[in-house]
Amino acid sequence: MTEDIPAPAEAGTEAVYVYAVCRAEEPPDLTGPAGLSCESPLRPLAVGPALTAVVQTVRAADFTDEAWQARLADEPELERYARAHHEVVCAVAARLPTVPLPLATLYHDEQRARAALSRESRRFHAALERTANHSEWGVKVYVTDAPAGQAAGAAPQPPAAGAGAGRAYLDRKRSLRDRRERQRSDALRIADAVDADVSALATASRRLPPHGGRAPEERRTQVLNATYLVAGERAAELARLARNLRERTGAQVELSGPWVPYSFVGEV
Amino acid sequence: MERAVVPWDGPEPLSGPIGVPLVDLLDRVLATGVVISGDLVIAIADVPLVRLSLHALLSSVSERVPAPWADGGPL
Repeated sequence: MTEDIPAPAEAGTEAVYVYAVCRAEEPPDLTGPAGLSCESPLRPLAVGPALTAVVQTVRAADFTDEAWQARLADEPELERYARAHHEVVCAVAARLPTVPLPLATLYHDEQRARAALSRESRRFHAALERTANHSEWGVKVYVTDAPAGQAAGAAPQPPAAGAGAGRAYLDRKRSLRDRRERQRSDALRIADAVDADVSALATASRRLPPHGGRAPEERRTQVLNATYLVAGERAAELARLARNLRERTGAQVELSGPWVPYSFVGEV
Repeated sequence: MERAVVPWDGPEPLSGPIGVPLVDLLDRVLATGVVISGDLVIAIADVPLVRLSLHALLSSVSERVPAPWADGGPL
């Protein structure tokens, strides 16, 4: 490709944002999503044999370190960026075999983007091969937190006659600690069982850091946040397995997907 | 994890998959398992404008994984 590169009015005011790299012999159809900038459209950028990146010119000032610091602290704004990125990735992946890039992959200009991405072309091809006919599925497992009042009920040992309030206090503390220990080992066991069963069905798997308690009123704890690369023809089997695991473990097993395999393109 | 999705306030209506929970999306688009938990405890110390490697993304972010237990005990 030798299209004219628009000369930036001032060096460094623009940057090239890369959404994804797809396998395409011809420039792909990019109509639809707007991307992160309303000032310039998405465009294809040939980066290697049969590889085309989907890029967009954006304002460099929107992607500085300071801008990202501010954005990470501003959830609605971060969400806007994440969803706009995801929308483009999904639109491209719906049409062509696609390797998604993470949020905020930027280059100073098109030549640098092309050079850097071309150097990775073997990895892109390997990732495309690895994820062909596969989707990513997320599995999250939650256990319901025992109500606090149960602590007293779980301490059947009445304090020995004559024992003081101090002893009763220590007994209560101990029983609470034991109950937490039990909860933890039960939760670990369930998480491992779910992960083992889903892994057996998947082509690859990754455990992600569990989400911390965002809403204490939810009264449940996430014990597994994992993601799996699953062959297209096994998706129905996965849904059945999730139902089965819900019944068997009594835990809440949440399935999400199919995702463009974000989590399985980087480790090739 | 059902929670209201923040509406898109960009110039164009968002036609993409808005139903995806943000935390799950960030797990994936940030590639390193960044989790937003109420107050954002994540600080990106070093986000260069130009990323030359696929692996570079926000690699400094999630060195420490928050424990899912309120009392901070190991899972």
